[in-house]
Amino acid sequence: MKMEDVSLSSMDNSKMEGFAQDILSDLVEDACLGLCFEVHRAVKQGYFFLDDTDQESMKDFEIVDQPGVDIFGQVYNQWKNKECVCPNCSRSIAASRFAPHLEKCLGMGRNSSRIASRRIASGNNTNKSESDQEDNDDVNDNDWSYGAEKKAKKRKSDKNPNSPRRSKSMKHKND
Amino acid sequence: MNKESQMRAAINQKLIEMGERERLKELLRAKLIECGWRDQVKALCKEVIKEKGLENVTVEDLVAGVTPKGRALVPDSVKKELLQRIKAFLAQHST
Repeated sequence: MKMEDVSLSSMDNSKMEGFAQDILSDLVEDACLGLCFEVHRAVKQGYFFLDDTDQESMKDFEIVDQPGVDIFGQVYNQWKNKECVCPNCSRSIAASRFAPHLEKCLGMGRNSSRIASRRIASGNNTNKSESDQEDNDDVNDNDWSYGAEKKAKKRKSDKNPNSPRRSKSMKHKND
Repeated sequence: MNKESQMRAAINQKLIEMGERERLKELLRAKLIECGWRDQVKALCKEVIKEKGLENVTVEDLVAGVTPKGRALVPDSVKKELLQRIKAFLAQHST
């Protein structure tokens, strides 16, 4: 048997076996380390001994299956129809309208600045809008979503639908 | 000898690049859970924790305390199956 015929690789069977064992050894070590890391994290985060809770305490955390109540046993639509008092204008507002009302009332949030800048733009022609601010808030409460639609529609028509690439060439123009 | 270590390095690289090492890792992990090895080693970890104290135990404590026994606890059948796959890969890719 010539030396070149032994095998296509320069390793013979016993060396292959040793190599395979080494690879296995590495993999087992990885598995051990992985488990140690998991355990260590569980210990430090405090959930390692969770399975050892006694039966009685476990009953406190059983899944609840009653109507009108979520799986933790909490009532989940309590706050739907409650009314909240606005800290700014001291009015009583329904919970679901509270956030948009606050936006208008405090003069913060995206829509408020848009409406304000629109008013300024149209307020150059007429000064009526300033005195009617309070009433405008009420109107805007109900038209809140409509107002956003209007603005969104306006934005879309500015973009040319036929050539979406236009903006890219514009970029080069500026260079 | 140099050629051998070159070959080893080349095969190791292939093992990783072709994703086979990851697959082998997953296979080993699944087998070890199935045969209860994971629970056994976890019990060993508990002993280390009780010895060193829950607040003070470090990764090094766990690794040192558990790895040698853990390696010995791997069942022969699992080792056999993995060796088979590894050797098959080596045979396929050792040119």
